Amino acid sequence: MTVALSVQDVHVTLGQNHVLKGVSIDARPGEFVTLLGASGSGKSTLLNVIAGLQGIDRGHVAFDGTNVEKRPPRKRGVGVVFQSYALFPHMTVGENVAFPLRAARRPAAERAKVAREMLELVQLGEMIGRRPAQLSGGQRQRVALARALAANPGILLLDEPMAALDKQLREQMQVEVTRIQRQVGITTVSVTHDQAEAMTMSDRVAVMRDGRFVQIDTPENIYRKPATEYVARFVGEANLFPARGGELLPDGVTDGRTGTAVIRPEDLRVLTGAEPADAWSVSGVVRLLSFQGSRFRLEVVSDTGGRVVCSLPPQTDAGTLLDGNRVRLGCAHPDRVHVIAATANDDAQELVVA
Amino acid sequence: MTDRSLLRAIGWYRTPIIAIGLLASLLFFVPFLVVVATSWTSGSFILFPPTGFSLQWYETVLTDRQWLNSFWLSVVVAVISTVAAVLLGTLGALGLTRIRSRALQRWVRTLFIAPIALPPIAYAVGLWSVDRRLPFLDDTLVSLVVGETLLAVPYVFALVSSGLAGTDPSLRPAASTLGASWPMILWRIELPPLLPSILGGALFAFTVVFDEVVLSVLLLPPGTQTLPLKMFTASQEAFSPELTAASTMVSLLAILVLGGAQLASNRRNRAARLRRKASA
Ligand SMILES: Nc1ncnc2c1ncn2[C@@H]1O[C@H](COP(=O)(O)OP(=O)(O)OP(=O)(O)O)[C@@H](O)[C@H]1O
Ligand SMILES: [Mg+2]
Repeated sequence: MTVALSVQDVHVTLGQNHVLKGVSIDARPGEFVTLLGASGSGKSTLLNVIAGLQGIDRGHVAFDGTNVEKRPPRKRGVGVVFQSYALFPHMTVGENVAFPLRAARRPAAERAKVAREMLELVQLGEMIGRRPAQLSGGQRQRVALARALAANPGILLLDEPMAALDKQLREQMQVEVTRIQRQVGITTVSVTHDQAEAMTMSDRVAVMRDGRFVQIDTPENIYRKPATEYVARFVGEANLFPARGGELLPDGVTDGRTGTAVIRPEDLRVLTGAEPADAWSVSGVVRLLSFQGSRFRLEVVSDTGGRVVCSLPPQTDAGTLLDGNRVRLGCAHPDRVHVIAATANDDAQELVVA
Repeated sequence: MTDRSLLRAIGWYRTPIIAIGLLASLLFFVPFLVVVATSWTSGSFILFPPTGFSLQWYETVLTDRQWLNSFWLSVVVAVISTVAAVLLGTLGALGLTRIRSRALQRWVRTLFIAPIALPPIAYAVGLWSVDRRLPFLDDTLVSLVVGETLLAVPYVFALVSSGLAGTDPSLRPAASTLGASWPMILWRIELPPLLPSILGGALFAFTVVFDEVVLSVLLLPPGTQTLPLKMFTASQEAFSPELTAASTMVSLLAILVLGGAQLASNRRNRAARLRRKASA
């Protein structure tokens, strides 16, 4: 089963805090949407709203076009994987996974069959008799996923599913969760702090800030065409320069009110002096060159005092880029420069070169 | 850390610690052993060292209607109060987690714990004056049971609360998104992991009520006595070895019950450890 999700202008107040300030998002059946945002931006609260665990002040939540604001969590058909996994410690893995069927008063034979199938799906078939305390972190997470999916819900919610895992396991589980989500074809909303995770797993990423969505778009567009400076800086490394009418301004001009150009580190290159003089460039002093395996990361302090980050291919001759040397950087891919119109900016006063 | 390495870590400081420990155990055990010894005297007085050896005082106590009646009365009061205290204390601790406001939570917690700090005599007098206005309660155990229950609730509440503190707060929302109704959540999700804390609380509650004297003095129907009250009056009337024989038997019973509980929990822990080891 899979369901289209629609959240319309939802407001939530917790205590004195206006936590959600009118959020709207739609997800197609089977789509994987990731909520990305700083701590406290309201991601978990939104998941709780969708699951029915959190009431709303106003707004609408609809599954397949039917309003569900009044429906209690147990009737929503939403599977949730909590950050702590929330496995029932006194039950075996099999009993945990079969719990939603027991709640629905299904016969024992069916419960056992579904538990086995779900555990096969997450490749933990032989763990059926263990207790949660006897599993590793990654195994617990997969059990929680199997349990969330066992009752065949229409929507799957994941609250920072990878947060408790180490980096290597996290990357494995990202692939694994995506595989299972595709296989089941369930509409999924996931929460994460980790932008790499958001990028790898999602059809669309929704960037949240202070209880509002700033941008909801494909991972590529979020990276290439950030709607605001906040998004540009939150997702990946970004160099922000003043722009006017879609054109980069010469370095040193801080007339930010007209627009901001976003240049990603990999779109900058070191100029050798042979380029036409009228090309855009920024000059400064090398602060740090670090080798990161697949690239060099060059950090430059520009003459106007801003920090500029540039990615260089690993075969670059590092000899000319010693700390303190002067360099000029130019734009390698002018077509990839994205300009944020000044009106789109949520923080106009910060517009000085980053 | 094992006991031995703990000892070594403490170094020469352990000498006074051990001395104080020994002294404390002496203070505790010597009177107890004296009581036990005097109870097997063949004479008619509580004397140490005992004269001769006989079990006649045990026989007297065990065949005396008054002693037996007060024993069973104590058991009945303690059992009913314990059951009531377990229900109230457990529900209170669970209910507390459902309160959203922190300030209100603190107030409720204080209310539940407060009876431990109140002087029992003040509390007993209060209950007694209420009791006197309700003449239809005169010949019943109701007021005593109510009083003892309220004294025992804090122990259950405290143990269950600390048990709850160690459980994941998202179990309940998780169960509700999985389709469970609240009775099912309570019965199948919340209570089972709390069982050890509830049993511990019950044991505490039972011993507190069983040994309690002050409330019994004021609230018992005329002509009845709980065991501690009977012992107390016996100690004031004749100084007969009946008293020490009864004390010895109650103490043995307590040791058996506590030892049994300890054994059961040890066995459970060991089983859990073995299971973990088997899976590692
Ligand atoms: N019970 C509460 N009372 C008042 N404010 C609350 C309560 N619970 C959460 N908040 C506030 O709501 C805001 C959003 O919380 P939420 O848990 O949704 O954030 P989040 O985006 O999930 O953060 P994180 O990434 O740290 O999990 C936070 O600023 C938090 O302080
Ligand atoms: Mg959160």
